[in-house]
Amino acid sequence: MSETKDNRLARWAITAPPTLFLLAFFLVPALIVVLASFQYPGEFGGLAPLFDHGDGREHGLTLENYRFFASDFLFTEIFLRSFAVATASTLICLVMAYPVAWLIARSPKRHRDLLVLLVILPFASNFLIRVYAWMIILGPQAALARMFNGVLGAFGLEPVSLLFSPFAVLVGMVYVHLPFMILPLYTNLEKHDPVLLDAAQDLGANAWQRFWRVTWSLSLPGVFSGSALVFIPVLGMFAIPDILGGTRDMLIGNLIKDQFLGVRDWPFGATLSIVLTLCVLALAGFAAWAGKARRGGA
Amino acid sequence: MRKLPLWLQLAAAATFAFLYLPLVVVVAYSFNDSRLNAEWVGFTLDWYRVLFADEEMLLAARNSLFIALVSSLCATLLGTLAGLAIHRYRPRWLPLLVITPVAMPEILLGVSLLVFFIQVLHLTLGLLSVVLAHITFSIGFVAIIVRARLAGMDESIFEAARDLGASPWATFRLVTFPLILPAVVAGFLMSFTLSIDDFVITFFTAGVGVSTLPLQIYSMIKIAVTPEVNAVSTLLMLLTLVLVIVASRLDKSFMKGGA
Amino acid sequence: MRWLLLIFYVGSSYATDTLYLYNWNNYISNATVARFEARCGCKLVRDYYADNEEMLAKLAAGASGYDLIVPTGNAVEALLRSNQLRPLDKTKLNNLGNLKPEFLNAFFDPGNRYSVPYAYTVTLLGYNVEKLRALNLPTDTWALIFEPRYLEKLKGRVTVLDSQRELMAAALRYLGYSANDADETKWQQARDLILRAKPYWAAFNASSYIKELTVGNIWLAHGYSSDMFQARADAEKAGRPFHIGYSIPREGAVLALDSMVLHKTGRQPELALRFIDFMLEGPNSAELTNLIGSGNPNQAAMRYIDARFFQTNADNRAVFPDASAMRRLEMLRDLDRKQRRVLNRIWTEIKLR
Repeated sequence: MSETKDNRLARWAITAPPTLFLLAFFLVPALIVVLASFQYPGEFGGLAPLFDHGDGREHGLTLENYRFFASDFLFTEIFLRSFAVATASTLICLVMAYPVAWLIARSPKRHRDLLVLLVILPFASNFLIRVYAWMIILGPQAALARMFNGVLGAFGLEPVSLLFSPFAVLVGMVYVHLPFMILPLYTNLEKHDPVLLDAAQDLGANAWQRFWRVTWSLSLPGVFSGSALVFIPVLGMFAIPDILGGTRDMLIGNLIKDQFLGVRDWPFGATLSIVLTLCVLALAGFAAWAGKARRGGA
Repeated sequence: MRKLPLWLQLAAAATFAFLYLPLVVVVAYSFNDSRLNAEWVGFTLDWYRVLFADEEMLLAARNSLFIALVSSLCATLLGTLAGLAIHRYRPRWLPLLVITPVAMPEILLGVSLLVFFIQVLHLTLGLLSVVLAHITFSIGFVAIIVRARLAGMDESIFEAARDLGASPWATFRLVTFPLILPAVVAGFLMSFTLSIDDFVITFFTAGVGVSTLPLQIYSMIKIAVTPEVNAVSTLLMLLTLVLVIVASRLDKSFMKGGA
Repeated sequence: MRWLLLIFYVGSSYATDTLYLYNWNNYISNATVARFEARCGCKLVRDYYADNEEMLAKLAAGASGYDLIVPTGNAVEALLRSNQLRPLDKTKLNNLGNLKPEFLNAFFDPGNRYSVPYAYTVTLLGYNVEKLRALNLPTDTWALIFEPRYLEKLKGRVTVLDSQRELMAAALRYLGYSANDADETKWQQARDLILRAKPYWAAFNASSYIKELTVGNIWLAHGYSSDMFQARADAEKAGRPFHIGYSIPREGAVLALDSMVLHKTGRQPELALRFIDFMLEGPNSAELTNLIGSGNPNQAAMRYIDARFFQTNADNRAVFPDASAMRRLEMLRDLDRKQRRVLNRIWTEIKLR
């Protein structure tokens, strides 16, 4: 008897609710998106019909949208640029988040919840109003830009604009996604057993070795999940490049948004996001595989 | 408890400063005597007066809070189960099902959910459709964080509990749940902020006459996002703070009473 | 938990007679709404969109229940041709005669069987009067945003609309073509013109140029007349040491005529018609112009409009263009799907390069 009735019941009770919910409310919409990527755009928006209505309009399925994507390197270039921005945002988030997550994890237990709350509290205000606050902070009249341009001026350089620039986009991306890095890291670091560090110290490991061999390597699941929760949403984000970006800051999220709220080309929007989703899943799969290989080798 | 080196404490403080710098601006400008969210003019309480007279905005705030609470509670429950299931039973398709909604651009999720609700389910759009949509995109966030907490956890404690004759439910209540609690709380907080901030998916799935704060605020974007929005944001943060503190107090006294 | 239920209850309680209006934000005065509710004994519930395309996307996916919508001409065309509108029963519209004839029979709805003009804006240039005077620049030509010889003095101080159609329209007019020209080679010329000017621009901006103009960060913005009106009023109120002006470029520009239409899925067509007739009354229509500086297609409204709109200056000529300016204004037509895809690629190139 490998599994008792109780355990089967437990397994069912744990697995079924999320699976059923997502099958019901996500699988069907996802299939709609896949189907849409093979349809023609409707003449006035939406999708062209699947079946012939005898009115001479285009109907049925086509590979045209994927062909359009492949027809111009332009679209691939936007993908590459977006992945670069997402990578940069993720790395900056990681560097900024790690000390905070660590600090919270090492605080006395009674303070931890409060500190976690402090991390998330700014995000109970409205997204747009926070981004507007950054417009004020980065604006040409504000202290930051003046100081920065003062330094540039001292070296005889032209003043630059901090607002409406790739820099502003990066600041916005990092700001908005920071909690999604801090929280997974914290929940991981919090469970580390200090005994391990004592043991490492007793074995003569210096501070850096103790961090690298013990803390960092134990925190990798947190690093991976935090990175996923930053990297992936950054790829789809369009509001920040729209508001803080300049004239060259279009990212894949903006391109996809344009297909729905600009040119009314739903099938191409669906195509772009399927390509994007596949890229992300491939990356996630690769990360999982690499993680397994690493553990297997250790 | 080991203390962090000073330079790391300073780095953490710097990140906190980065998180709170815009917040200072948000709160300060809610008292700014100018319609524009752009420069400091002078102190006023007018925007709070405007806010309390603005029924549309207050109703939207109430809807937002309701949607965020209900959807994040449900998403936390379902996401925690998903994280546990993925860790313990390694189902083949659930991880894909959990991560894809996170990976799909929100505008696609919004439009396809709208098509699904209307043309497949024949659901009348309203608050319910928004709540369902928010649960859908939040589950993944919770599952991922719970899964990260469980990763590398020593399975032997669960086995020990079982060997001691604890039922699966007792094992869960006494061993598993306390262990994953920080991740569950973090997951709840993440889904709460995701929900209360969401514009795109809410825009598509909200029914006629159902407005939320982001819907209300984004429609102001062309004309001017006035400090009234700063005022409502400030109050919302205060409310969140109070709710969480009260909840944690209740939680503690409940624990004490129950133990 | 009881308070949660309470919220749910309050959030979902509806009055019996409710008219659902899907409109731009701040596109009707609250006083007007209150008067209408008092007169009809009903409730007017407003949902908002910030862009025609948002509204079209939501309706294309099947959203329903809106009685009245206020789309711009080309969006009316899209709704009408995709069979989403309900014809108007004109016997119920006693005030239809108040409308100026030049705003009737627009291309998107000949005979006005489905749409009643509501208000209009012109896409034009708004500027910091003192700055442009000091730099010795003209104010009434698209050359300001396209010609490097002018832009050199304005580097990083210019924003253009983040809208494919509007920006292409400006470039096409500047090149001497129609704003509706859909010839690919002309679009490519427009693209080259835009790419040459782009390094001098600060941003593509659809949302914050009012604010940036008012504060003085931006000196020249491509945008809508009602927004420039707002920027000017804000700058005055804030006591800025400069003024915001706006004028229609002499090469011609885009006129956006917003009209009231009935959606097929609305449940209160009778009430919606009463609302349209109410909005056609002079005082009610004038209230909107006085509030946001939109153009007014209603003859009966003219005597209720603030006197400041009739002082002769470039700003007012932009709100109420004279006959010769009117001839240089064009309404945008909807593009078909093939044209949209061509433009899509060109626009992506513009954004990326």
